[in-house]
Amino acid sequence: MQNRNTLFIGKVLLNYASLESTNASALELLSKSNPSEGTVISAYEQTIGRGQIGSSWESEAGKNLTLSLILYPKFIPVRHQFILNQAIALGVRDTVAAFVDSEVTVKWPNDIYIRGHKTAGILIQNQLLGSNLQACVVGIGLNVNQKIFSPALSNPTSLLLNVTSTLLDLGSVQEELFIQLEQRYLQLRGGQEAKIQGEYLQYMYRYGTLADYERADGTRFRGTIAGLTETGKLLVRHEHGTEAFEIKGIKFLA
Amino acid sequence: MTLKEIQELIKLLNKSDLTEFKMKDGDFELSIRTKHYEKTRIQAISTASAQPMMPISSIATPFVPPAAPSSPSPAATQDLPASSSAPAEQSDTEDTSKYLQIKSPMVGTFYRSSSPEKPPYAKVGDRIEKNSVVCIIEAMKLFNEVESEIGGKIVKVMVEDAQPVEYDQVLFLVDPKG
Repeated sequence: MQNRNTLFIGKVLLNYASLESTNASALELLSKSNPSEGTVISAYEQTIGRGQIGSSWESEAGKNLTLSLILYPKFIPVRHQFILNQAIALGVRDTVAAFVDSEVTVKWPNDIYIRGHKTAGILIQNQLLGSNLQACVVGIGLNVNQKIFSPALSNPTSLLLNVTSTLLDLGSVQEELFIQLEQRYLQLRGGQEAKIQGEYLQYMYRYGTLADYERADGTRFRGTIAGLTETGKLLVRHEHGTEAFEIKGIKFLA
Repeated sequence: MTLKEIQELIKLLNKSDLTEFKMKDGDFELSIRTKHYEKTRIQAISTASAQPMMPISSIATPFVPPAAPSSPSPAATQDLPASSSAPAEQSDTEDTSKYLQIKSPMVGTFYRSSSPEKPPYAKVGDRIEKNSVVCIIEAMKLFNEVESEIGGKIVKVMVEDAQPVEYDQVLFLVDPKG
């Protein structure tokens, strides 16, 4: 099935019944050939889905979208790559927002939340060439029709748990995803970085609201997310000033 | 170095906030890690680029002869100056000036393999080709495969797995004739 409503994303769509990891397959495809930009590898079932290094992404077969998109963002300098994260996260957020009425946010750096529950995750793997990005594999796991999740996951949800219908058409969600991702990627390529950065903050989970956090050393504090540094670190304002955090340096407390 | 001098050094290190101390003098090599080491290592992972490696150059002899060219290049690899003019006294130590460096193109966390269960992309003794992936540098959940721009044999891995790295930091030494 090809996507008819986009210029390049999903025009080449490789569907597999079962893959260990769509990202690994996309990287392998890149190493052996020159897939066209926008090529998507999708799996009905992903057996060894990956989150961050050392963590996994679980998905029930046939119920969710587990796919990887190949891009060539050669115009992005390596040091400025967080903008790619922001553009992709917004594209996935827009997709989820098109199906549910509830508040949909981006939890820094790139998880998608419906009312504080995680519905999608993103894993981006880049190949570098000198100081610019060369090729990029964007892995997206989007919970669509799954209703029951492993108790090991802290706060999962799916689209279906947030709509009134009994089943969502995976193909329609996928088509919407391709359209929204393409729109954001074209904005990025068109130099509209300020727009992307602005909307990222606009839709950022807990932006501007007082909440509780924990540092890597275990100390807890109340603070307000105030923005991001140039490289994407999280700025949190608290009673002693503003502090910048790396991903593993801060935990969001309930 | 006498045993007494080493004891004095350990005492001194324990009083300081240093995590690790390395020195090399001819054939003599010394490496001391303090009780702060494991703690700082964990913190360093969590804060990645926020914390550069503990500077040790003020008290220790740098382990690698300072051979890097002064102007940083954006490329991931750089040639070292030719070894022809290297002083003769280097012959009794390991002559690293004949090796090429693979440097970090960015600030981030260095990973030797794609996941903890997987074997490292490149280990000492491995032959790598131009464009071989040698490691991953992660920053803000973006995982970057770093490709070598040179071919040769890996002679030294300069950074431990899951450690923060700075822009232009040397990651691997490669023997182009290996």
